[in-house]
Amino acid sequence: MDLINVVDFFAVAIPLLYAGLVGLYAISFFGDKPFANRLKSPALIATAVLHLVYIGLRTAAFDHPPITTVFEIMTLLAACIALGYTYIELRTGATNTGFFILLLALVFQVVSSLYIKDLTDIAPILRSRLLGFHVSTALLGYTGISLSAVYGFLYLMLYHDIKSSRFGLIYHRLPNLEMLEKMSYKAAVLGFFMLTVAIIVGLFWLPRAFESFSYWDPKLIGSLVIWVLYAVGLSAKRKLGWQGRKTMIVSLVGFGFVFLSMTVVNLYMSGFHSFE
Amino acid sequence: MNLLSLSISHHTASVDVREKMWLSVDETKQALQQLKKRYFNECVLVSTCNRTELYGMTSTVQYQDGELKKFLIDFKKAGDNVRPEHFVGSFAGGAVNHLFKVAAGIDSMVIGDIQILNQVKKAFNVASEVDALGPILNRLKQSTLHVGKRTRAETTICEGAVSVSYAAVELASKIFEDLSKKSALLIGAGKTGELTVKHLMGKGIGEVRVANRTRAKAESLVSSFGVGSVVDYEDMVDGLRAVDIVITSVNSPSYIVQPEDVHKVMKQRSNNPLFIIDIGVPRNVNPASKKIDNVFLYDIDSLGTIVDKNLGKRKAEIPKVTTIIREEMVDFFRWYNSLQVGPTIHEFRDALEAIRQEEVQKNINRFRPEDRELVELVTKRIVNKILHQPTTTLKRAAENGIKGKETIFRIEALRELFGIKGDRKDRNEE
Repeated sequence: MDLINVVDFFAVAIPLLYAGLVGLYAISFFGDKPFANRLKSPALIATAVLHLVYIGLRTAAFDHPPITTVFEIMTLLAACIALGYTYIELRTGATNTGFFILLLALVFQVVSSLYIKDLTDIAPILRSRLLGFHVSTALLGYTGISLSAVYGFLYLMLYHDIKSSRFGLIYHRLPNLEMLEKMSYKAAVLGFFMLTVAIIVGLFWLPRAFESFSYWDPKLIGSLVIWVLYAVGLSAKRKLGWQGRKTMIVSLVGFGFVFLSMTVVNLYMSGFHSFE
Repeated sequence: MNLLSLSISHHTASVDVREKMWLSVDETKQALQQLKKRYFNECVLVSTCNRTELYGMTSTVQYQDGELKKFLIDFKKAGDNVRPEHFVGSFAGGAVNHLFKVAAGIDSMVIGDIQILNQVKKAFNVASEVDALGPILNRLKQSTLHVGKRTRAETTICEGAVSVSYAAVELASKIFEDLSKKSALLIGAGKTGELTVKHLMGKGIGEVRVANRTRAKAESLVSSFGVGSVVDYEDMVDGLRAVDIVITSVNSPSYIVQPEDVHKVMKQRSNNPLFIIDIGVPRNVNPASKKIDNVFLYDIDSLGTIVDKNLGKRKAEIPKVTTIIREEMVDFFRWYNSLQVGPTIHEFRDALEAIRQEEVQKNINRFRPEDRELVELVTKRIVNKILHQPTTTLKRAAENGIKGKETIFRIEALRELFGIKGDRKDRNEE
């Protein structure tokens, strides 16, 4: 009982922490205030660590990893985005894109915390190891796609500003175009690879485990559409020499589908992917 | 304070006048030695391409402003071009304020010019080499450098490109990640194009190529850069294929690069971003090329807009710089005022008296009541005796009215040894 209280406390505290973190990154980005510049990176690491603690506690308290409902998955996705960004920030030293990426993590975490339920009774099938593998690869895929989209979005903003000789905040604070494009591309490749693994596992193993499995499941179709889109985008970059603006637009469209798949499909369409 | 300054600068004289007053390091040393012999206890000469300035501490207030101007003009034998009216002078606080403004770059032709601080520093070092600096100017040097450092650290007055060539380089580093992996092609000659390439080289550009209608010109440019290769002018458009940055500055009545060319080249270079800096007047590159994906085309006007904006931003920082200057002036004069003999003696006396009273109070009960008055008297007498020698020495110096090196040294030593802080703040050597 006590553990569940702690988990409930964390469920409230984590989105607040993200809000504070996004606030710090915003002050640093828009106002360039020294205290925010100094504090934001330590705050990022602290938040990411506490988020992992939350996920760990949640797993222990309810005796299953938080992968059984879309809201449980959303907090995982938020954590993956935050961790992915932490890695990028430590690796490149570029701290000014954090506001945009962490904003995404904040959105996912807020939605998760608002609707997440304390479930202890879950279908036994959801305790399968392979399902865990399927979900975590799909999550990493979505994380890659999300990061790729944010960098794509930043690229397009900066691209547009440079082309039209507007030299405002975006121009002064963002890293250079080449770097943004590289980040977006790397994240897309990672996302695509992970999504491929998730789909293969899903298609070949899960039909045997679920009686209700159907190839017409909306989530499955959605994922395939996303996969095809990225496959086309990545090969156009390779084969047709697509660069810059076009590939970024593909990345953003792909993310749009992911977002739809996470929200509309999960909430309003029925299929074997919903287990509640 | 008997600090005076004379200045001839872009505010007071045109370049053909003020260049006559430019002093080389050797000339500066010679002039300083003569100036010190004739007029000053301490002096320094700052000479750059935009200004020549003299700062000196005199022994007496009576100095001949005209005589100094004449000395400087005669020293450079520049009587034909330079007249005394080309100089402006200021005194004491005004002179300090002026020096601080110069060091902070707000008196420069281009506001926020960062080179000036190094030039000022160098000027003080040169003066120090010929022993023209004393305690006052040494302290003034520290304060001046401090003003410069704070200006750079606390304001953005030095930020943002304020020349067309530098604006182009700044843009390049917003487009490309690592310039050392990129190459640039300069088409045509011209000062701005050349400067742009030099700035790019300063940022570590990987490769430089030059194309010119006259091949010999291209060759001489390459040798002046010290690196690079020459490209045939006829293959110029083809040359766009292999480079990332193109600078065109050709005298041509019509466009030398058309959108079709750029289109073709972009395909060949598999859409890798191409940054074209067109500084030709009239323009060399058809502006319609701007619409092509991954082509970043800038002409001299759009670069000029960047420069104007940055200049505006720098101007907006001036109030912050003025505040820094005021703070540093307060600090400098606080130190300067603490050098006065009268207050120093007074504070010294107070310090010793405080010690005496404390000890007497602590121990007075050990004496019989009838002896206590005597204790007061004796201890007072001891303190007075101790005070006598240092006080008279300092007073004698004060009566001479000279703030010589020796006097200042003594005052500083006294204050430090006896821990008499006064108002002054200590600061480490810069």
